[in-house]
Amino acid sequence: MLKTICTFVGLLLVIASHVANAQKSTVYASVVSTKLFIVGAPNPQTGLFYQRPDDDTTWQHTGRNNIRAFGFDVLASSNGQILCIASGNGVHQSFDGGRTWKITTGWRITEVLSATINPYKQEVLYCTTPYGVFKSMDGGRSWHEKNKGLGALFTPALLIDPRNSDSLFCATEDGVYRSANAGESWQRTGLNVGGVRTLAQHPTDSNILFAGTEDHGIYATWNGGKYWEKMEAGIDHSTFYTIVFDPTNPQMMYAGGYVTGVYKSTDGGRSWRRANDGLTNLNVHSIAVDPTNGQRIYAATMFGGVFRSDNGGTSWRYAGLHGSQVWTIKVLPF
Amino acid sequence: MKTVLLVVAFVAGVMDVSSAQRSFEERREKILVVASSERDRGFATITAKLLTGQDLPFAFAMLDSLTYDQSIGGMFYAYTLIGCYLHGEHVLPDTLKRKMREAYRVRTMYRGDTENHWVMYYTGLYLAAQTWPNEDEARWFNGKSSEENFEEARGWLNHWFDISSTIGQGEFDSPTYITTFLTPMLVLYEFAKDPAMKTKAQLMLDLLFVDFAAEHLAGNYGGGHSRDYPEDIINPLAAPSTFWAWLYFGQPETPPWNETRYRPRHRSAWEPVFGAASSYRLPDIIYHIATNRSKPYVHTETKRVRNIIRFGKEKNPPVYKYSYVTKNYILGSLHGGILQPIQQHTWDVTYVSDKPNNTIFTLHPFSSGKELAMFFPEEQKFLSDEVDRYHNVYTNPNKWNSSSPYEQTLQHKNALIVLYDIEEGTTHSHVDGFFPKTLDERIVDASGWIFARSGNTFVGIFPLKKYEWKEEDVNWRLRSFERRNGFVVEVGSSDEDGSFENFRTTLMKRRPRARDKGKHWEVKYRTRGGHVLQLTFNGKRIIDGQQVDFKQYKFFNGPYVQSERGSGVITLTYGGKRRILDFKRGRITETP
Repeated sequence: MLKTICTFVGLLLVIASHVANAQKSTVYASVVSTKLFIVGAPNPQTGLFYQRPDDDTTWQHTGRNNIRAFGFDVLASSNGQILCIASGNGVHQSFDGGRTWKITTGWRITEVLSATINPYKQEVLYCTTPYGVFKSMDGGRSWHEKNKGLGALFTPALLIDPRNSDSLFCATEDGVYRSANAGESWQRTGLNVGGVRTLAQHPTDSNILFAGTEDHGIYATWNGGKYWEKMEAGIDHSTFYTIVFDPTNPQMMYAGGYVTGVYKSTDGGRSWRRANDGLTNLNVHSIAVDPTNGQRIYAATMFGGVFRSDNGGTSWRYAGLHGSQVWTIKVLPF
Repeated sequence: MKTVLLVVAFVAGVMDVSSAQRSFEERREKILVVASSERDRGFATITAKLLTGQDLPFAFAMLDSLTYDQSIGGMFYAYTLIGCYLHGEHVLPDTLKRKMREAYRVRTMYRGDTENHWVMYYTGLYLAAQTWPNEDEARWFNGKSSEENFEEARGWLNHWFDISSTIGQGEFDSPTYITTFLTPMLVLYEFAKDPAMKTKAQLMLDLLFVDFAAEHLAGNYGGGHSRDYPEDIINPLAAPSTFWAWLYFGQPETPPWNETRYRPRHRSAWEPVFGAASSYRLPDIIYHIATNRSKPYVHTETKRVRNIIRFGKEKNPPVYKYSYVTKNYILGSLHGGILQPIQQHTWDVTYVSDKPNNTIFTLHPFSSGKELAMFFPEEQKFLSDEVDRYHNVYTNPNKWNSSSPYEQTLQHKNALIVLYDIEEGTTHSHVDGFFPKTLDERIVDASGWIFARSGNTFVGIFPLKKYEWKEEDVNWRLRSFERRNGFVVEVGSSDEDGSFENFRTTLMKRRPRARDKGKHWEVKYRTRGGHVLQLTFNGKRIIDGQQVDFKQYKFFNGPYVQSERGSGVITLTYGGKRRILDFKRGRITETP
């Protein structure tokens, strides 16, 4: 009898633990600068920050301070042990959850705007810079330029197709480029506008991509980049720095940019409406949806810190990093 | 007998040292003494105290606080900390030495995003890694071992030496930022153990100094500048370059800390202490190039634009620079356009004067997020505000530094044409001119010419369109709201023109011919020297019927400095002597 009770209690504990773990998430945000930033001068803390959703406005700092941190990536399968930061002075990497860091790039790679870890081969990394795309095949020990076929080198973003890690897309000043061979060469897609600032790929259909641009609005492709269509329904702005899918329901999408606030779509990006109640800074540079709770959204703003919504964007509240230029925000499921 | 030989040897030694170098020794000693008595928390004055042994407890206390203050870091800190350490190693207590070493583990030494930042960062990293070799990744702020840091720093420094000696600096000829190149190189020269690196540092010091010397006049850094602050542009002797000119060229004669006439803005910037502490000695030939103004000369240079990262076809387009140097003034110009964001100074005439604000120039106060986004990776719609936060004046319509796509120049000796063609809708679509109140005379003549005189220097400026005057604290501001405007400038002196009256009378008879029709905006002018200059905006530059071909511009070309672009070999000549700076072979040769 006792054995049965113990087994039952043990089972309950295991279930409870699984439930708790399943709902766990960590929010990361990279701060380039604050309103007080001066290169080379004593500055307020910037760099990579993280928090748990129940931390409200409190953030923990990890890595080096004052590095002009633009993008970052965290290998979800490592539970936050493997991280990289794209910064002004190169790619910073940590393999122990942020306890120690190393700049793995040298002087040839600078002003790094994004860093992306291949989720299936963690030793493969990409970083994008004003001077093009660079790749490491050995976990950051060496980096190689991968610009063959690119028309313009200024590359703010790169994404890896989650269903085929050899398939890459990058946003450039000259449009969107695709590589079918893990960056060895690039081909221009059918998008004929420049100033592409961000890309988003549908979580389950690789052919669907969205591109946010400087001054040219949002474009979508439903066939892997062959043809692009300008999304206009409900959109009153032209510069978009971020577009994301809700990973729990890809019909839900969010976008933000210059004085846009947050735009929300409930029909997979075909139409949009603004969802800004409580959002006191309308310059949104990055948006993240909590993969464990699609109602929880984070909006990172230019010099206004982070805002959070717990109801799918219906209302927002301030969530910390006051006055910061928050370039990238992500929520990871651990 | 032995005593006699010693005296002979001593006298011979003194005879070998030029008078210029003897006076340099006096000045360097003076700097060390005066800087030692300063009570600030700067690495330069602390270094002076360590070298002279004066006020050591205070120096140690300041150093201790500098190693304690976690908010300080970055590239400025990286090289001055190691420079101070290496100069003062013999007197520093071990506890302080350990703290200074520890700073390279716990601080973020941010590399920065400009040429001067990288020079400071990699010089600091090179010397720190050399000083503490064979230390593992955990001992360094960037997680790299001593060997990795040393190799990276060596690699970039060699790259910088290479581009600076072949296509030129991006942050060229800056009266302010010259300090951030000279000081690291002086420290590198002093402490690099690798003879090849030490020679490269010496080559670079020679290059930086001769680059300044060829456009130096009585302490002023003449000609166009890639970057400078408005306060120094309107008051040239207030710039940090004046301190270096005093130390190495002996001009002006008054030490900057005693100077009351032109009020140095950087009075407390003691970086030349690292020059005083260095065993580097300015070659006599450079001293003479800096100070002999017995004959006027034309000096041209090719520099490069800072890395263009978007909205441009070329990463580092060339910058063409022209200076006419006389004993009274330097008239100098860059060819125009956006050549360096934020702090460009395209043209001026700077003249010898005991009074402040000894310069005249015009500009278009341009600002745009797109301009900044050509050079910086941040979001273009926010860049202007961000730059304004630390440069204060970027979007200010009254600013005195600017790079404008709507400004172009043509210069021939002592005459210059500057044209403006400002696109409709540009945020600030006016043109400003700076005329100091310290001029001895300023005459607005009915002929259309504006005449100015300061001492022996005469300036005539002919505005092509209407304008108005506004009186300000230290100057009259000429302002024109004509989007198409321009100025013909002639500069003279008592040597060239006899008297100011002669100069004015000659110019009054001359009138530029402007053609403003449709897309065509052009001016043609015959100078008082008889040369015909013709400048078409976005078109040809013609002098005496010959089209100016910038492709023919050399890296350096003038009576004292010659170099072919891309060669890496710079030849200095003066009075039958030659000094060849051969960056390719890492060698300096001097003949005879």
